Amino acid sequence: MRIKFTWDKGVVLLLIVSTIVGSFITPYFATSSNISFVIQDVGEIMIIALPMTYLIIAGEIDLSVASIVGLTSASIGFAYVRGVPFGLSILIGLVVGTLCGLINGILVTKFGLQSLAVTIGTLALFRGLCYVLLGNEPVDFLTAPITHIGYDNIPNTFLPYSTILLVILGAAAWITLHYTRFGRWTFSLGINPGAAEFSGIPVQRMKLLLFTLTGLMSGVAGVVYSFRFASASPSGASGYELAVIAAVLFGGVAIAGGVGTMWGVLAAVMVLGVIRSVLQLSNVSSNALLIVSGSLLLISVVLPRAIEVSRSRRKTSTP
Amino acid sequence: MSKFLSKFFAIREIPVAIALVIVLGVTAFANPAIVSRSGALDIFLGVSVVAFLAVGQTLVIAMKHVDLSVGSTIGFSAWLIGKSTADGHSLIYTMMMVLFLGLVVGALNGYLVAYLELPSLVVTLATMYIVRGVFSQISSGRTIIASEVPKPISFIGLNSFYVVPYMFIVVVVLVFAVGNIMHRLRPARDLYAIGSNLPAANLAGIPVAKRVFSAFLANGLLASFGGIILLSRFNAADTNSGTGLELNVIAACVVGGVAIAGGVGTVYGALIGAVLLQSITMALGALGVGQFWQLAVNGLLLILAISLDRYLTLRVKPSTIMRVKN
Amino acid sequence: MQKKLTRSLIAIAAVAALAVSVAPAQAAGVKGIKTGLKIAIMPKALNIGYFDAWNKGAQTACKEIAAKCTYLGPTEATGPAQVQFINKVVQQKYDVLVISAADQNAIIPALNKAKAAGITIVTSDADVAASGAKSRVTAVLPAASERIGTAEVDWAAEAAGKKGSVAILSAAATAANQNAWIAAMGPYLTKTYPNMTWVGGTVDKSVFYGDDDATKSTAQFNAILAQYPDVAAIIAPTTVGVKAAAAEKQAKKSAVKVTGLGLPSEMAPYIEDGTVEKVGLWNPIDLGYVAVYAAGYAKAGTFKGTVGSSFTAGKTTYKVTAGGITYLGDPFTFTKANIATFKKIY
Repeated sequence: MRIKFTWDKGVVLLLIVSTIVGSFITPYFATSSNISFVIQDVGEIMIIALPMTYLIIAGEIDLSVASIVGLTSASIGFAYVRGVPFGLSILIGLVVGTLCGLINGILVTKFGLQSLAVTIGTLALFRGLCYVLLGNEPVDFLTAPITHIGYDNIPNTFLPYSTILLVILGAAAWITLHYTRFGRWTFSLGINPGAAEFSGIPVQRMKLLLFTLTGLMSGVAGVVYSFRFASASPSGASGYELAVIAAVLFGGVAIAGGVGTMWGVLAAVMVLGVIRSVLQLSNVSSNALLIVSGSLLLISVVLPRAIEVSRSRRKTSTP
Repeated sequence: MSKFLSKFFAIREIPVAIALVIVLGVTAFANPAIVSRSGALDIFLGVSVVAFLAVGQTLVIAMKHVDLSVGSTIGFSAWLIGKSTADGHSLIYTMMMVLFLGLVVGALNGYLVAYLELPSLVVTLATMYIVRGVFSQISSGRTIIASEVPKPISFIGLNSFYVVPYMFIVVVVLVFAVGNIMHRLRPARDLYAIGSNLPAANLAGIPVAKRVFSAFLANGLLASFGGIILLSRFNAADTNSGTGLELNVIAACVVGGVAIAGGVGTVYGALIGAVLLQSITMALGALGVGQFWQLAVNGLLLILAISLDRYLTLRVKPSTIMRVKN
Repeated sequence: MQKKLTRSLIAIAAVAALAVSVAPAQAAGVKGIKTGLKIAIMPKALNIGYFDAWNKGAQTACKEIAAKCTYLGPTEATGPAQVQFINKVVQQKYDVLVISAADQNAIIPALNKAKAAGITIVTSDADVAASGAKSRVTAVLPAASERIGTAEVDWAAEAAGKKGSVAILSAAATAANQNAWIAAMGPYLTKTYPNMTWVGGTVDKSVFYGDDDATKSTAQFNAILAQYPDVAAIIAPTTVGVKAAAAEKQAKKSAVKVTGLGLPSEMAPYIEDGTVEKVGLWNPIDLGYVAVYAAGYAKAGTFKGTVGSSFTAGKTTYKVTAGGITYLGDPFTFTKANIATFKKIY
């Protein structure tokens, strides 16, 4: 039985290989404390990569996710510092995140604007609101209850508390994308929106829902972020959006839409985290990580294309 | 008369130009002190880098592509110029290095997008990382300081023709040069055809791959030579130079009528878009809007500009969307 | 026979004296500090001249105490970026961490984890917030915030002729050191210079953040001028900010007075040509030097950082004051008169 080589299988393989190789390259990598750290390090990116996968498969994109993370964190800080109970502050933050996603969705579906362009606008708008809320007063959550689950491990294990969240969300996203009608509809949107509409899929409502979900999940990532650093600052999570998109694309999701798997994306996020950790612990400068990330991203699109081109050449050359 | 008016407003650059006039007018009215030498200098200097990059980006966006690597390229180039000068090389040698950088990045992007037909968003996102990484590695923390900037380069930043810095004049000359080329040269106009209807462009016999490659190559070169403007603007360069510029450039283009959907827009519009965004930043300050609101308002206005642009596109007949001079 | 013995003794003594005098100075180490410590020196961000000088002092101390020191940190001055490197320090089993906190809050959880892993931590130049004070043994800071803040106000007032409005171009909103100095500036200006005001009414509304980034600082300088065209003076309590402000002032040929905390080597061209009248700074070399010594003693257990305790670094003894902070002394000021000397040192 020939196993068809697909890019996402390659990424999973790469994850296994890099983990093994990494443990040999540097003795500091395969320690329980480091694994705990790597999981924390990729946590927010993984959470946001989940809805971003759906969005890109459906043929859209959202560049404002990092700003939503920051705005959620800023909202929590804003409320908390004014005496709102911590739990309620978190809820407010999640509502803010969801609203941001809703705004993006409305702009794309009701106003018919291109998601690439309009989310550049909301990126600035939401980030700007972070500054409006917090101004020059970063907020300290160290004394708030339960923030410690942001940076502590589950007792008697080396896994951070956030692992639970990641596993639940990751599994839910995986199952929904590949085994439910909602997931199939998402693929249809990306493959051919016209045909999808024709076959009865509520295209506009789906897209609206996807953007709103992205906002909610970015909000969740924002909560995780605030807990991890026990603080909120206006520039929190700046620049994460490109890292998330790069990870999703590297995981085998086609930017044109309609193609991709959740395990490819999950593996891609982990691979990038592992490689960053190995490089750092081997005292290779962080510049190398940039070069490696960019190269991997490039290979992820060049390789399948090169294979495709050579296959079609072989086909035409045989008489 | 109404026919003239409807044709007038169909020109994509008009609404942006009007918006610019309104913003400047309101600002001058609200805070007359801003109508000064330093106020004008503020706009011209502040807009130069983004406007320079917007010229090349227009070529790319018109074809329905995007180039995210320009920020890394321009930063790298600015640093290279400073380092080369500090090492005692001649200006010619330094410019050769800048040329080389632009050729390499532009050709890489161009080849991957045009001939391997890979999505430009992914490719240029990757090259953005790679160029930034190579740059950081080579520079390893070395900052370029004012004394290492070649004299001609610092000159155009520090000196002006009346109230217009020479740096800005360079940008304007570039805009008019490229704008003219886009208008007259057949191969340049092909870019619009590629952006608005790729299959039709193919059928019409346009050598699409060649055009796409040339556009990315040109953009790479422009981004690299833009390093001159960046270095002149700040009289310094370091590992973080140019970071994040790409989104500002795309915003300037979109506001100036170069739609992300491709097929429309001119470099004149992009220039006006860049000036408009810079004026808004200044206007907000002059109007007393707290500094913390500025970014949010900028984002809001960008969304407004995109919405307005779409509204106008829907209102105008399809035949007038692509203006081609016969 | 007697003569021969004496001659040999003298010869041996001479050789011994010679041997001791040419022996490498660092082999001895310093009494009270273990040799061979693995120390991490972490700035807010790399590629900032001020921290290069800070590191120079740290490395000198490291040689004296025979420790192995590594200079490492992020390329952008944010808390989350520093956290990555703090964790690297933990993973690579360093003994000591000397750090300037980019974010007074965000790095506290990471520092607590590092302390739990057995690493001794001393903050230098910028401290963490009070809630994180127990993660570090002591904070080695230049001078009491009041003295730094009030001195800068004095320089600004002097340059502006004791009248007009003043704005502040700071670093990151999350930096404890700048925030403390600014807090001291507010009431002092109002009390001492009745003809001067803050551009925004209160000092809190007059601060613009350049995030220790040259491009952002330049943009904020322009934002100040755009919003308050009549501003008389801008105080930049950060070397990146004051340099950017001076450069932009020169480019725009603006009349606003610029002063603040500046590295003499970076500010020399602007002082020499008159763009800036005066800036000040303590010696960051000392900050790094003293911090390493404090950490060394702390690791050995002889110095616990309690209020009132003291330690000796080089020729000076330092005492810990309230909050666990060790102060170095007043800042120097740099003008046309002395810039030539200082620009060679740091």
